[in-house]
Parts: sequence; structure tokens; C-alpha cells
Amino acid sequence: MANNGRKAETVTLTIDGQEVTVPRGTSLLHAAESIGTEVPHYCYHPGLSAPAQCRICLVEVEGAPKLQPSCVTMAADGQVVHTDSPAAKRMRQGVLEFYLVNHPLDCPICDMSGECKLQDYVFDEGREQGRGREPKRVFGRDDFGGDVLYYGDRCVMCTRCVRFMDEVARDSRLTVVERGSRAVIDTFFDRGLDGAAFAGNVVDICPVGALVSKDFLHKARAWDLDHTPSICPNCSHGCNIELHTRDNLVQRLKPRENQEVNGHWMCDYGRANYEWLNRPGRLEAPAVGRGSDRRAADWREALELLFARLQAAEGDVALVGSATCSNEALAGLAALGEEVPGGAAGRVFRSPRAPDEVPLPGFPLLVRRRDLVPNSDGAGLLGFERAGNDDGQGGLEDVAEHGGVVIVLGDELADQGEDFGANASLFVYLGTFDSAAARNADFVLPITTFAEEEGTFVNAQGRVQRFQQGLRPPESARPAWLVLGALVAAFRGEKTPDSAPEAFARLAAAHPAFEGLTWEAVGDGGAALVAEAAHG
Amino acid sequence: MSEVRFRNPGWAGNTGEFDLSEADVRGTEYVGERVLDGGHPSVSPSLPYMFVEKDPDAPLFEGPYRERFDKIRSRYPTARAALLPALNLAQELRGHISPETMDEVAGLLGLSDAYVRGVATFYTMYNKRPVGRFLIQVCTNISCNLCGADEVLEAFLEHTGTELGQTSSDGNFTVVEAECLAACGFPTCVQINSRYFEDVSADDVPAVLDRLKREVNRGF
Repeated sequence: MANNGRKAETVTLTIDGQEVTVPRGTSLLHAAESIGTEVPHYCYHPGLSAPAQCRICLVEVEGAPKLQPSCVTMAADGQVVHTDSPAAKRMRQGVLEFYLVNHPLDCPICDMSGECKLQDYVFDEGREQGRGREPKRVFGRDDFGGDVLYYGDRCVMCTRCVRFMDEVARDSRLTVVERGSRAVIDTFFDRGLDGAAFAGNVVDICPVGALVSKDFLHKARAWDLDHTPSICPNCSHGCNIELHTRDNLVQRLKPRENQEVNGHWMCDYGRANYEWLNRPGRLEAPAVGRGSDRRAADWREALELLFARLQAAEGDVALVGSATCSNEALAGLAALGEEVPGGAAGRVFRSPRAPDEVPLPGFPLLVRRRDLVPNSDGAGLLGFERAGNDDGQGGLEDVAEHGGVVIVLGDELADQGEDFGANASLFVYLGTFDSAAARNADFVLPITTFAEEEGTFVNAQGRVQRFQQGLRPPESARPAWLVLGALVAAFRGEKTPDSAPEAFARLAAAHPAFEGLTWEAVGDGGAALVAEAAHG
Repeated sequence: MSEVRFRNPGWAGNTGEFDLSEADVRGTEYVGERVLDGGHPSVSPSLPYMFVEKDPDAPLFEGPYRERFDKIRSRYPTARAALLPALNLAQELRGHISPETMDEVAGLLGLSDAYVRGVATFYTMYNKRPVGRFLIQVCTNISCNLCGADEVLEAFLEHTGTELGQTSSDGNFTVVEAECLAACGFPTCVQINSRYFEDVSADDVPAVLDRLKREVNRGF
């Protein structure tokens, strides 16, 4: 092959008898991954440096005198690699036996059990029986502060956590203390991890049960959790996450890789704030009528009544949205405001805002944003203006006294009094919880939270991102895009959108900022809005 | 008290036939009148070697010690690289590396406190707590062990009246186990501060301790 003295961009090698072509500079570990072969590894993590110290990713490279660590050995032309040769297997079995010398094998009480790499590898390739006769050394556990608990006995000393704090958080609070069999991970004595904004990631990257979350401790078994791709709802950065759910409750949030948004990471603030998704006492069924006249109604009746009232409504329409609602819901609300005869008076939303941003120094794309809601940017693009103060309160004085139609979507109105909407000719409250301020509502309609529906948010980077349904909603709650879409469709004499993708398609057609985007294009990784439309 | 016969004891050149002091062997430049500023940068991390007055509360670093610290720092491209000699210097001054010392050294070098702790605990030659005037390290690794190191260790503990790792009530002795001291030809090897005592048997221990006590009385 003539290469004119220039190095080719790709190299071709053979892994386990299969020829594979990868870009130059690809490690053997990744090359093997590209043909579906997972080489066991502990210390290597794609978001961190590779010290090649765990010695379990060693593979046989023909011609090399010793087994080579596949995480740092670069693929080269003509290499013949065996990940499963007798030598490689024997080596892995030996390394695993060493890892188990002091490991307590307390899998039945270990939170990592079921997703533990030591468990997986030993189950796959370890010895059937241990040969150790010596007593195991015992460290017990150490509270690192923050949400992190350390079980020294389970640790495999891969130092991923130390390197995460060094390289990504740039806050070198963790280190290996002592050496040999006495080595443990620790902070500077009792200084701990308190106040480190991203320390929770060390729990995610720990390949074994050494670093576990205090919040999740003994709460659920890994195999009982359903994983749903979603978007972190706790700030406008919109980290890609998974909802881990069991018994229709969110048990924890875990980051999902997206190199355009959050890499492999997420912040502790986002991670810790999920209990509001499990809050009991939800609105269960639609209700019509003000104050003491209120009665339960089924959806058909409620919507028919509401449609009739909207057609005959007096005065213009004040819309209160929420930046925890999806784009589809907010676009539905905006569209409804335009259809009601009186026309729109204003569109506002309120949201809490932190005093400062918290960036992740080693992955500068990731910033815990000031806006502590997932869709403030989407709400802005759809014509909603932010009102109220940084606690997400106030700013509704005009709406509270508005004489025309008032439609509130997703805002619980917790700071508003019982006379909210008393002057309104028609007051519609779409929410997840009943509220004192909803007393004057003519219609109280239960909607789903973002975790109970499909939809999209727009993050602070101007990126549209999809989330999926992870929880079963209360029996009669419906997605807001469906409720509002049905009303808009009734005005326009068209078909009600029957799915979130359909609602998104209508939104993209109606709003120039979303032009050209499709549900499929947004996909699991999100898609950027056209820049000038997003900021113009 | 019988005079112990050291077959290859102490520092190089001491055959046991002469009662040489350390100063006689090493010269007085670094004993007594030590070069406190450490001399040339290339040797400042390692000199003077041991017997300076230890003050656990000594400031890090002042006067000649500051000068030496600056020299140490100037010799290395990064702060991390200068950490070991900086810790040496701190231990020389204070006798041991306490958590506070780690913290202060970390501050002086601009390193994280946790990293300094990791390094200080990795190396056994940093004392993580106060030790006696004489740190007696008995090798119990394989060669010495085959030649009675356990008995030697036992004898040191008995004659100093201390527990392993503890300091005797007069503040003179701390006895610890050591892994190989690289003197496998002369078991049992005992390192006392910077000196090697080789071919030590359990019977030799009282005489070794007497000799150390004499040195204390002489003011080293």
C-alpha cells in the first residue's frame, strides 16, 4: 500500500480473528469495543486519564514479549490481538484472584451488587473457589461527607475517584493513603468532600461498591431499577440523565453520557433533587366549578364544558406557564391563548434562580446554571417572559386581578392568596397539586410531570433535548400537551395530536426558532436550535 | 556489662576496635557545626542529615531553613517533585510529620493537602507521629527473620520498656519493625536513626542501648 510517506488516518488490525479498521490513535480497548468485545477494565474511564494500573485489561499482542494493557496500547497496522487467548484469560483469572484476597464478598448487602464490575468479571472469568486461607484485613467504612460513603474493604484501588477530583473537578480532595494492603482512599483526615459541587460523580464511576451514595444506601437493588433516559430537571443546563425508578418512585438520578452537554457527569445539586417527583397528594381527577360549587367531572365533560366557556369567554387571556413544563405543553398553552376570542394579554412564567453559576473546571461545557428549572430557555423561545423574583415568587399581581381569562399551567401558585383569579371571567388551572390559589378556578385539570410523559426541553446552550416517560401518572392525569392540544384542535377543527412527537411537529411548524427540527433528529442526544433563530 | 563486639557495626569505617564518634568518621562539618543553610542546592535537601534539635512546634520555615526550602524548590521543575525533600526538611526540624505539618507543607508548595497526606503516608521514613530521640528500626524481613530478628525485636522492646511503635518514658527510644534494610548479608540488621547496627543478636541489645544512652549523656 503506497502511502507517499504520509501516515494513513486509519489502521487495520486483527482482534480475536476479526479484522477491524479504526482511526489512528485508538486504544486496543476501544478498537475491541468497536467490534463488540468488552475488555475488562477498572482504572480506565473514558472521561479520565489512563494510568494502566489495574492490570486487568491486559491482552495478548502477537510479537510483544508480555501482555499489553489495552487501555493505553494504541492500535497499529497489522497487529494481531487476542483478548481471549489462554494467556490473557489465565492472567485475568490471576488478577481477579488477587483482587479478592481482601475483598469482603459482601455482595448481599452491597449497593453495587448487580452493577458491580468485580462481581461481573469474577462471575465471568474468576476461579470457582478462592484459595485464600489468611484472614482478610478489615477497614470498615468512612463517611466522606457530602453524599459519599466509602467502604475501604471493597475498594479495588483503581483511583478513578482520585483522578476525577484531580482532573475533572480540579479539587484534589481525594488521595490514596498508605500503601500495599493498607492502602485506602481518603480525604485530608476529616476534611471530607463537603462543599464539593460535583463529588457525587465519584460514586458513579466507582466500578465496585467502595464509594456509594448515602442517599441511595440500602434503598433498592440494582436489578429492580428501571432506567429511563431523561433530562435533569434541576437547572437549565439540562444534563442528560437516567431516571432510576422502582415501585413507580424515582430512586435516584444518574448521568447519561452526552459529550455535547454534560460528558459523563452531573452536579450534586441536580442529583439530590428528585424527591419532588415522588411527592404524594397529587391532583387525581378533573374538577369543574368555583369554590363550593366544585365537583368532579370526567375528562370529556370537563373539556367540552371548558371549550364552550373558552369560545364564549370575555376579555383577553393572561397565560401563566412554568419552566418545568415541556416545550410541547408551553406551545400548546401559547396556541390556546391565540385561539381564545379575546386574544392574549401576556405570557409569563416564574422560576427560582441561584445567585451564581457552578462550572465543572475539567469539563467546561458543564455548568450548573443560575436558572434552577429545566426549560426557562424553551419558555423564552415560546414567548413567555420571566416574572417574579429569584425565589420563583411574586410577579403575578396583574394576573391575580385580571378581569379576563386566566390560564395557569404547571405553576403551583404557592405564594398566592385565595383571592387569586377572583375577578377572572374564566380561570383554568392545569397543575399537579391542588393549591389554595386555585380555589377560584372554574376548571382544575390534573396534568403529568415531565417524568410521567414524553417531551422536550430547550437547555441553556439552545439545545432541544428529549425525555422519556419513567413513571406511571396518577390515574386521571394527562400530559398538558394533550389537554391543551385537544382544546386548540377543537378551535381549529383539526385532529387532536395523538403523541408527543406529533405535538412537537406542530410546535416546530408554528415557531420559527424550532424550524427544521424533527422528533427523530432530536433523538436521544438532542439537537441544537439554529443559532440565529434561537438568539435572534 | 560486657563490651559488645560489633562485627560490622555502625557507620562505615567503624570496626568496633576504636571508640569512634560519628564526628570522627564523618567530620565535624556536618556534626556540631552543621551547615544549616544546606550548602549547595544540589545537597540542600539531604544535609545536615539527622541530629538536629527537634521542636514539634518549629515554624516552617524560617531563617536558614527558609533558605534551604527555597533551594529545594529551585531544584525541581514542579512543586510535586519538591515535596519529598520539603517533607524531609520539615521532619528534620519537627521530628515527625503531623497532619498540621502536612497541611503547612501543602500550603507552602501550593499542593492539595490530601495529596501531601497521600505521599507522606506512602513512605515509611516519614514519622507520622512523634518518635523518641533514637528511632530503632529492627528488620524482620526474611534474612533477618531466619537469624533471630523476632528475638532481637523482643529484646529491644523489653530493655527499652516500650510497646511496638511507642516511645519510652524517658523519651529516648521508639522501637519499630522495618521491612528489608538492604543488609541481608549481616542479619539481624537494626537501623538506629541514620546508623546501621549489623549482626545484632538478642544478647547484644543491652550493650547497644547502653551505648546510645552514653551518647545521650554526651549530648550525642
